[in-house]
Amino acid sequence: MESLFLLIPISLLLIGLLAWIFFWSVKAGQFDDLEGPGEAILMDDDTPKSKNVGDH
Amino acid sequence: MSSSKPSNSCYHCGSFILPSDSFEAELGGINRTFCCAGCMAIAQTIHGEGLEVFYARRAQSSDKPAAYLASNEIPDSLAPYDDPSLLGRYTRPSGEEGNLETTLRLEKIRCAACVWLCEQHLRRIPGVKDVQINYVSQKLKAEFSPQQTSLARLLFEVERIGYEAWPFEPSLSIEKSKKERRQLLTRLGVALLGMMQVMMYAWPTYVGDSDITAEYDLLLGWTSWALTVPVMVYSAGPIFQAAWRSVASFRQTHMLGMDVPIALALALAFSAGTVNLATGSGQGYFDSITMFIAFILAARYVELLARQDAQGGAEALAKQLPATCERVPNYPASQQVEIVPVTNCNPGEVLRVPPGDVVPADGILIECESALDESLLTGESKPIDKKIGDRVYAGTHNILNPMLMRIDAVGQSTRIAGIASLLDQALQAKPLMVSLAEKWAGYFVGFLLIVAFLSSAIWSYLDPSRAWTVLVSVLVASCPCALSLAVPTAMAAAQGAVTKLGLLIVRGHVLEGLVKATDLVLDKTGTLTMGQPELKEVFIARSEFSRTDVISLAASMELGQKHPLALSLLRSAEAENCLLKTLPEAVSNQLGKGLSSGIYRLGSAAWVGAQQIAQEGQYGQVHLADDKGLIASFLFLDTPRAGLEKLLAAAKSRKIAVHLVSGDDPATVSWWANHVGIDQFKGACSPEDKYHYIEQLQKEGHFVWAIGDGINDAPLLARADVSIAVGAGAPLATAGADAILTASSLAPLAKSLLLADKTQMIIKENLIWALVYNLMAIPVAMMGWVNPWVAGIGMSLSSLAVTLNAWRLRKA
Repeated sequence: MESLFLLIPISLLLIGLLAWIFFWSVKAGQFDDLEGPGEAILMDDDTPKSKNVGDH
Repeated sequence: MSSSKPSNSCYHCGSFILPSDSFEAELGGINRTFCCAGCMAIAQTIHGEGLEVFYARRAQSSDKPAAYLASNEIPDSLAPYDDPSLLGRYTRPSGEEGNLETTLRLEKIRCAACVWLCEQHLRRIPGVKDVQINYVSQKLKAEFSPQQTSLARLLFEVERIGYEAWPFEPSLSIEKSKKERRQLLTRLGVALLGMMQVMMYAWPTYVGDSDITAEYDLLLGWTSWALTVPVMVYSAGPIFQAAWRSVASFRQTHMLGMDVPIALALALAFSAGTVNLATGSGQGYFDSITMFIAFILAARYVELLARQDAQGGAEALAKQLPATCERVPNYPASQQVEIVPVTNCNPGEVLRVPPGDVVPADGILIECESALDESLLTGESKPIDKKIGDRVYAGTHNILNPMLMRIDAVGQSTRIAGIASLLDQALQAKPLMVSLAEKWAGYFVGFLLIVAFLSSAIWSYLDPSRAWTVLVSVLVASCPCALSLAVPTAMAAAQGAVTKLGLLIVRGHVLEGLVKATDLVLDKTGTLTMGQPELKEVFIARSEFSRTDVISLAASMELGQKHPLALSLLRSAEAENCLLKTLPEAVSNQLGKGLSSGIYRLGSAAWVGAQQIAQEGQYGQVHLADDKGLIASFLFLDTPRAGLEKLLAAAKSRKIAVHLVSGDDPATVSWWANHVGIDQFKGACSPEDKYHYIEQLQKEGHFVWAIGDGINDAPLLARADVSIAVGAGAPLATAGADAILTASSLAPLAKSLLLADKTQMIIKENLIWALVYNLMAIPVAMMGWVNPWVAGIGMSLSSLAVTLNAWRLRKA
């Protein structure tokens, strides 16, 4: 049971980390478009022919 | 997918290929045929960039593009976008190297493949630094270097692959709504994380594990407290602020908002929990607090998303009018046109409006008679012939000849802007509906506060040491969790279900309003009917012609015309697989009479020399003749919108009085009313008349539900208690409506009506359940018998019951 004194602070740290990741992802616009990236990965051509694509 | 199409259809747009103008090109080793140079150019562009997977993935075939797309030149109509006055409006500096950023709204997007194609194509233009498209809002954000490319080039490149884009004025409200959305999402996320973790720490209390010793209990208690504080301060902060504002303004409004009881319950539960924790006795309630906040914020987030989907009146107005127009500066000395932004035009100047374009300003027709489609503005279903000196209005469609007009009003003084301001006015005057739940919650909270303080007063008389504990346990045992969940869960589930049916709810009260409706006011053109004529009957006068012959001959003559009857003939020709012919002689258009080509004439009865067909309720008729006399007559009818009978039957079964109010001529309106079985009808109504019609009904105590589609319906939709705009209609109409019908049939409305009933049932069941639970729990708490973990489990189970009950709506 003594392990709780270690495990609970660790869980608090983890929650803090999760909250930070969440804040970052909202700010970066990760939640602005929840449909697009899922469709885009199906559409994207794996062998780009034009060299301009490399710029992005 | 496309390769399976018959060989006489175009590879790009899928339309008929006339034998005379077929284009061929070898793409990816296969010979493809095209209907026009524009389609071929688009397909070549797409294949040339290695994006041909688009053709395999698209869900629908594309539209036929304009002919000028075959060249690489930016057309004159787009060039003014590089004029400093427009460029400054639509772009903003971005990055360090003098790059500009712009937001474009894409049109004609049908599927994910379309979005992907636009994104890929624009990224390959030299000078374009970054392109991002939001699939949901169909807005495109591009960053480009003004030295290498231009805004007009971007717009043209989107057109070159078969779509349309128009620049979107970056308004403050858009930035604001984005910030609001992100902020609420972070608040919700924090509350959810807090809820998860606090519930984990509360697990020993849930399972009633008595093995746990006091020091671990204290550790878990304080850790929960530490996680509840950010949820209370950050996530629930706006609730406390709103509650405080509502209390502060109580003197003026005499009404307390929903936030007041919520804030009160949260504050009391949190302070009670903290006191219990510090004194080492009793429950912490932190799990309930965090869960309560998370659920409330989740419901508010869903509501916010729906609300932000609706457009404001100003944005809708901008979409209705073109950004550029053709000005004739030296009229009448020269007919030379220059293309300028509409904002730079002034009254007194002369504009040229080509057929197919939208009139950009109000004015007087001064040269070249034409016909205008005013249906969106007035509800009149047939095109209006305009003679020299007639008034033309901004927002109407020129469908016949290029015409010249003298401006007498632009911008805010036009008729259409007047309707938009009537719309804003109506939205403000809209009667506020106090929702059922708010009323119940108000009573309940009042009752609860009285009971809690009364019992605490009695206990302070009997046993002062227990008065505080009883006060808190009454408030917490009755935690309005289930009560506050009763409505949002049912609403969220029902909204999900109606969205799948094809009805997008913009303002929250729609489902509740549908149940209360006593009167249904329908618009005719575009709502009751499709607003476009369909070929109903073909009367063949001479037996040597077959039905296919006459349709294909008439359609060949109408090819390229923009008149609704012409488009209808072309549609029927396509539907019946009649091949179009190339006529030996050019078609000439005689205004008000018809078309002629060599010996053939197609037009009005009087001109062709035929007998007028007498049939009531018809949209129109045309007659085909050659030098030997009449060949055939075509009769057109406006078609009723699919699902109309279901809607009317559903309205009838609920004893909702149906009214037909239209801007169309009284005879047509009365024919349609009789045809579909509507008793009350009124024709020739201006937007103001419609507005007053509804106002009158509301004064008589009726609860009005309105459905419309045109600009002329916008004030009516905004004024009605519940309104639904037909999605394909004018953007201004959708701005005033509470919900948007995205399906083309009216049948989803009949189903939504049933669903609205069911939702009200479920909300009532939920409220009754929450009330019964509270009526049982409160007396027990008042007696001071409350066992904390029993209260905790009871609360969770009652919330769960309410949520699961609401879930049943999703299957509707």
